[in-house]
Amino acid sequence: MTSHRELFDPTNLKLAIHMRSLTETLHLHQEDERHYPDHPDEAKSAVKMADTSVSEPFPISLIANRYLLYDINTITYIRRKHCICGVLIGGLPQAPSQNVFCGIPLELMPEEARLLVEEGHAYIVEDVEAHMAGFLDMSEEERNAFMSAVESQGRDAAKAKKRRAGDNKERALKEKNLHRLVQESQTRQASASPDATNTADTDESLFAYPSPPASPPPPRASSTAPGEIFGITPSTSYPPLTMSVRSTNQPLPAVPRSYPLFRHLHSKGYFVTPGLRFGCQYVAYPGDPLRFHSHFLTVGMDWDEKFDLRDVVGGGRLGTGVKKAYLIGGKEENSEKADEDDDIRAFSVEWAYM
Amino acid sequence: MAAATASPPPSALTKLISAHTPTDSTHPAHLHHLALQIQHNLQHQHLWTALTIHTHSPLAPYSPLPRPLISGLPPQRLYVHPDEQVELLAREARRRREGKKGEGGKGEEKVDREKPPPEREWVLPTHVREKWSLRRFGEVFEGIGVVPPEPTESGMDEERGATSGRGERQEQKADGEVNADVDTTGAVRPEGTEREGEKPESAANKWRTLKRVVLATLDDDSTVVYYVVHDGIVKPRQN
Repeated sequence: MTSHRELFDPTNLKLAIHMRSLTETLHLHQEDERHYPDHPDEAKSAVKMADTSVSEPFPISLIANRYLLYDINTITYIRRKHCICGVLIGGLPQAPSQNVFCGIPLELMPEEARLLVEEGHAYIVEDVEAHMAGFLDMSEEERNAFMSAVESQGRDAAKAKKRRAGDNKERALKEKNLHRLVQESQTRQASASPDATNTADTDESLFAYPSPPASPPPPRASSTAPGEIFGITPSTSYPPLTMSVRSTNQPLPAVPRSYPLFRHLHSKGYFVTPGLRFGCQYVAYPGDPLRFHSHFLTVGMDWDEKFDLRDVVGGGRLGTGVKKAYLIGGKEENSEKADEDDDIRAFSVEWAYM
Repeated sequence: MAAATASPPPSALTKLISAHTPTDSTHPAHLHHLALQIQHNLQHQHLWTALTIHTHSPLAPYSPLPRPLISGLPPQRLYVHPDEQVELLAREARRRREGKKGEGGKGEEKVDREKPPPEREWVLPTHVREKWSLRRFGEVFEGIGVVPPEPTESGMDEERGATSGRGERQEQKADGEVNADVDTTGAVRPEGTEREGEKPESAANKWRTLKRVVLATLDDDSTVVYYVVHDGIVKPRQN
């Protein structure tokens, strides 16, 4: 239940993503509470309790020719285990203009998706088809079970909201040294008059969805009010759908000519990320980009592809200015080397100070 | 009157090129012109010494190179591998500590930076309007070794005699002196030969394990830019 609520609340989710990606990639996984003592309770529990296991092969959603990952566990897993970062592209409805820290989904380059599929870590799911098939074939029991699950989430959410409001009020009063009054009011409230509590958190109760302002809130003692349920709009479709549908005839992702070089760098342990922002095709980091500066501005090409020398000079100049090398490379043709992975050849270009 | 129609005298570079372009070469003349112009630039603007133009590979089959390449010795080390730099800095720090101990904390800033000895480099002459491909870079690297051969070794003599332009001064010299490549530049840098002698660059630099060339790119206005190209994935220097 906790993990579902985490998924449905975007702010908690964001927090969880950043904490998870930071802590897990830096291998500080053991004691989250120790590192983030001031963290809100719910996100903390979400981090602690979320099931982080990922079973391979995992699905990659193909939507409108984009390869997307929606599961935070998978996202952190491929970063830890497979040196693949991808790009978080999910914006937040509340902060649509912020683009520094985006949330899920994670978009993979076709090269990344292809690599994961080729090495058997993942498979591609055509998401539109999977949804159509999944929802149309859903049985009545499954549907009812899901609806009741959503309903109980709504009830939980309402309960948590109410509890938070009560806690806030209590803390505020305590700060003003009015704790005694609270206790008094609580005893009074338990006896008869519930209107006293209504004044404390007007803004909270304004936004609490289902409680109409006219009706008096139920007394704290009986907090298990069955009538109060938040309307929850599920933001994921797994569940209710299960990822069991795995079509084997999905073609491999189409990749550009630079794929062999991408794969080669990846096999050498480099983290390879898109490089447009740095004036190249890929940026290659010697380790996790959170810990290392990149080493190479990379452009991959065919063995016989023609390029201007001005591009080499420009790339070398650009790279040297930021302490990187400009790397061009590709699959060597007509080479005697039989090994598939061994026939990638790359040239590093740096400015010669003379 | 006559001066109005007469063309100006040829420049030093034009004279060099016309005097040293071989007529019986396996390579087209324009590639020789390119190599000579780059060599001229290296010698006179960057004070390189021991410049040699190679038309054939110094390695076993001695097959013709894709184009004439230059080898030469820069006045300072051109490329310091990042790991070597780390070691140099560590040595420098150690020296500084010891100096500090000896002098009682005074003058530790005076410890001069250790300069690695210069190494011979391959130079690949190119023109900016050329189109290149990975294959062509690959072919250039096929023909060369990690370190260019010593210019004083025998075997390359006839090639050097034919193509090594050392400027006008050398032209007047006897053929026997062409062998001593450092002669002409010796006037400019008398220390060049000594430094070479005390630390032969062939004494293996353990960080120099991959082939590299200096890509010299010429533009129409005679600008030449130099870039180090390694045959492989080499992490960048942290200048």
